[in-house]
Amino acid sequence: MVDRSQPVSRRGLFGALVRPFTRHLKERPVAHPEEIPDADTPRVAIIQGRFCLAYQGGVCFTCSERCPEPGAITTQQGIPTIHADLCTGCGICHDLCPAPVNAILVKAKPPTQTTEPSEPS
Amino acid sequence: MNTMERRDFLKLSAMAAATAAAQAKAGVERTALHKDAHGIRWDKAPCRFCGTGCHVKVGVKGGRVVAIAGAEDADVNKGLLCVKGYHVGGILYGKDRLTTPMLRKEGKLEPISWDEAITVIAERIYKNPQKFAFYGSGQWTIPEGYAAQKFIKGGLSNNHIDPNARLCMASAVTGFISTYGVDEPAGTYDDLDNASVVIFWGNNPAEMHPVLFSRIVDRRSRGEKVTIIDIGTRRTRSTEFADHYLEFRPQTDLAIANCIANYLIENDKYDKAFVEKYCNFRIDVDDKTRDLLGKASTFEEYKAKMSTYTLEYTSQLSGVSVEKLTMLCETFADSKQLITSLWCMGVNQHYRGTAMNRLLHGIHLLSGQFGKPGAAPTSLTGQPSACGTAREVGTLAHALPGGRIVAKPEHRADCEKAWNMAPGTINEKPGYHTVLMFEKFCTPTAEGGDIDTILVQVTNPGQTLPNLYKLFDAKKDLADKFLIVSEVYPTATTEIADLVLPAALWVEKSGVYGNSERRTQQWFKQVEPPGGAREDVWMTIAIARKLYDMGYPGMKDKDGKFIFSYKDEQGNEVPIWDYAHFNDINVDKALYEEYRPLTHAKHKNVAPYDVLVNAHGLRWPVVQTKDGNWRETRFRFTEADDPFVKKGTGLQFYHSTTNDDKAQIWFCPYEAAPEEPNKEYPFWLCTGRVLEHWHTGSMTMRVDQLRKAMPKAYVELNPKDAADKGINNGDLVKLTTARGEIVLPAWINGRAQPPRGSVFVPFFDEKLLINRLTLDVTCPVSKEPDYKKCATKVEKYNPTEKQPLP
Repeated sequence: MVDRSQPVSRRGLFGALVRPFTRHLKERPVAHPEEIPDADTPRVAIIQGRFCLAYQGGVCFTCSERCPEPGAITTQQGIPTIHADLCTGCGICHDLCPAPVNAILVKAKPPTQTTEPSEPS
Repeated sequence: MNTMERRDFLKLSAMAAATAAAQAKAGVERTALHKDAHGIRWDKAPCRFCGTGCHVKVGVKGGRVVAIAGAEDADVNKGLLCVKGYHVGGILYGKDRLTTPMLRKEGKLEPISWDEAITVIAERIYKNPQKFAFYGSGQWTIPEGYAAQKFIKGGLSNNHIDPNARLCMASAVTGFISTYGVDEPAGTYDDLDNASVVIFWGNNPAEMHPVLFSRIVDRRSRGEKVTIIDIGTRRTRSTEFADHYLEFRPQTDLAIANCIANYLIENDKYDKAFVEKYCNFRIDVDDKTRDLLGKASTFEEYKAKMSTYTLEYTSQLSGVSVEKLTMLCETFADSKQLITSLWCMGVNQHYRGTAMNRLLHGIHLLSGQFGKPGAAPTSLTGQPSACGTAREVGTLAHALPGGRIVAKPEHRADCEKAWNMAPGTINEKPGYHTVLMFEKFCTPTAEGGDIDTILVQVTNPGQTLPNLYKLFDAKKDLADKFLIVSEVYPTATTEIADLVLPAALWVEKSGVYGNSERRTQQWFKQVEPPGGAREDVWMTIAIARKLYDMGYPGMKDKDGKFIFSYKDEQGNEVPIWDYAHFNDINVDKALYEEYRPLTHAKHKNVAPYDVLVNAHGLRWPVVQTKDGNWRETRFRFTEADDPFVKKGTGLQFYHSTTNDDKAQIWFCPYEAAPEEPNKEYPFWLCTGRVLEHWHTGSMTMRVDQLRKAMPKAYVELNPKDAADKGINNGDLVKLTTARGEIVLPAWINGRAQPPRGSVFVPFFDEKLLINRLTLDVTCPVSKEPDYKKCATKVEKYNPTEKQPLP
């Protein structure tokens, strides 16, 4: 029997939260196209501390809270860290970052980090 | 330049000219104002959201707010803002701003002119002045609240005015008054920089007062040691930073506070010298009566009553281990510590909110944790001017400006004199407090519902009142009841309003706010309101003038002059009720300066308007020094800092209810919650705010970044409870209380973790109104409802089985 108590994936929850609002997501100003590589290339998210509210001494937990990959973004005393080995580069954290200047970059994964997929299929 | 562009250009320059003209009337040169290399004009304003009172720099270009930055030279936030604060400019530019007055005709809201709107309101009031009620807000500016207060209590001799602050900090007011004889905290945020221990009592500042929270935890990054003790009914984002977490069964915080007092006495670890010199003991009149002032008690009686609250008994009742309770008690017993207690809605929105407030003051007094930098019982407010407008201007049903109350003849006489009105003008009977006001409004007239018209400004009762079906929605079926709402966006309140008035928002008008630490903050209008939106204070004055023109006697003072008559520098009366002339003088300054002398009686001396113009707020009492400067007060009642304390006294509670300069240490027993989980409704339901949204989200949900970061309400569940019910993340859950039901997505653990048997739902989402479920039972003294606990049923909701929602 499946242990339903475990928050195994937050995808379900955030799917439910995000879906009714996709209209707004479409209206969102998108970063300059060449800044974000295509979704087919392996990608990784990077936090730019100088724009991140948490790094700047403020309180914010949007990226770690909304990341659908368990363990990909963890926080310590409120400061988020992205674990490149677990990050799938989906870009949700970038899309949702509420900082005045978006603090999350989505970059192509450097070749050394793309040797293995994060989840065996 | 084509015609279109030229017209736009002319319109813009006309607006800019009008704004500049309004500002020129300040009377003093303004240091905050400057233009940068990008052509952005920068000015100052306090943030529009919570009670922290951060100062922002507002950048305006082309008649629009284009940039927001934290004000580095502001003491409160030192340049830092929270995620809401950075986006505060965006709240002006939602696509659905209300821009024209609208009257409901055959069920539909139809545009009408301002003149018609004001006439409709004045005629309704004229017909039945005593059935009219004014519902305001802790987001009212001080001049707005003061004008409303003078209009209804003076002009209409009617006391049915209450702010939404009744739902927010009324219990803090009764706590302060019954302890010190005068409202508002003695300490300030400076204590947070000096405290060695900070205690959160049912408080989650990481989300609700993030900048203050940062101010505390930032000390750790500088290598200072500050111990955080979190005492709450659910883990929160603040708990992550706490050294100790004490999770108690809802309502038993009363017992925990008593346990500390008992421990200090039993172990002879209380501050005897302090208590002897500065404190009396106080108790309720009898086991049933719960009133503001109670009766005198003795130390022996206090000790005997407290003796029930042993560590073991309290542990059993609250669920907090004896070990943790001992740690907490020992912290208060250690005179080397400097303890600051913080609390907000967890203590105020409490069936025994007044009692809990008193007990927190009590343990600070008993342990001598009072009157030194870092040691203070400090209640926080949720709204930017809950202190300034609701408490100081006294826009509550029982109050008058400057800490006065309608029940006292000398207080009424003071105001009648200040307003140049005939003696006996002000009614001696308190008006209806919020819950009662809406109950009367939602009750048919024939059945005693003697409120038939409510004017709502700067708040959204259709989403925030408890038990919404009873206190708000029931109005829909009553044809003779008339709801007038001044708003900036469509809300749950405008949805059933009969008349909607489009309002100016934040820097589209001038204002003065008062934050949690007694800091009075001023700002000027910086952009024009959109379309036909106008200032709330203008609406109040225009309604008063219409009544004056109709011959309503109360709108004239003793000399037959209109009650809002203000002159320009040449001494000519300016018809400010005519919107074309509203900006001819600084109406804010005129009202504020009329109000200011009223603050002196209770030593709440606020700073002069012109002094505030070039300050990031000043904390009252503000007094003028010999060199002509104005000096603020960081700690009231202490000789070291408070100018009104007699030299040589050390501490002087100069408004003591016992007239002996002493504060009252209260005994208040633990009493069960009005509704506890039972067989049918086995879970506790707690409601509250989230970091990204402010109150009902009517402003923050219109800012893209904030809405995306937190798009929709949810129910937080404990993982074990979820497993029992087969609920996974995102599954729909139905909550049912005796008052209503709601279906929302589950979030297991949520932002931290509710304990087993309890759920948490935020109230910002206008599509998921959790207040249809909450309880409208109030604290017997403060009349503030308890939004933090009621009993609910939790079920997995099966969407295939279509159930009609109420």
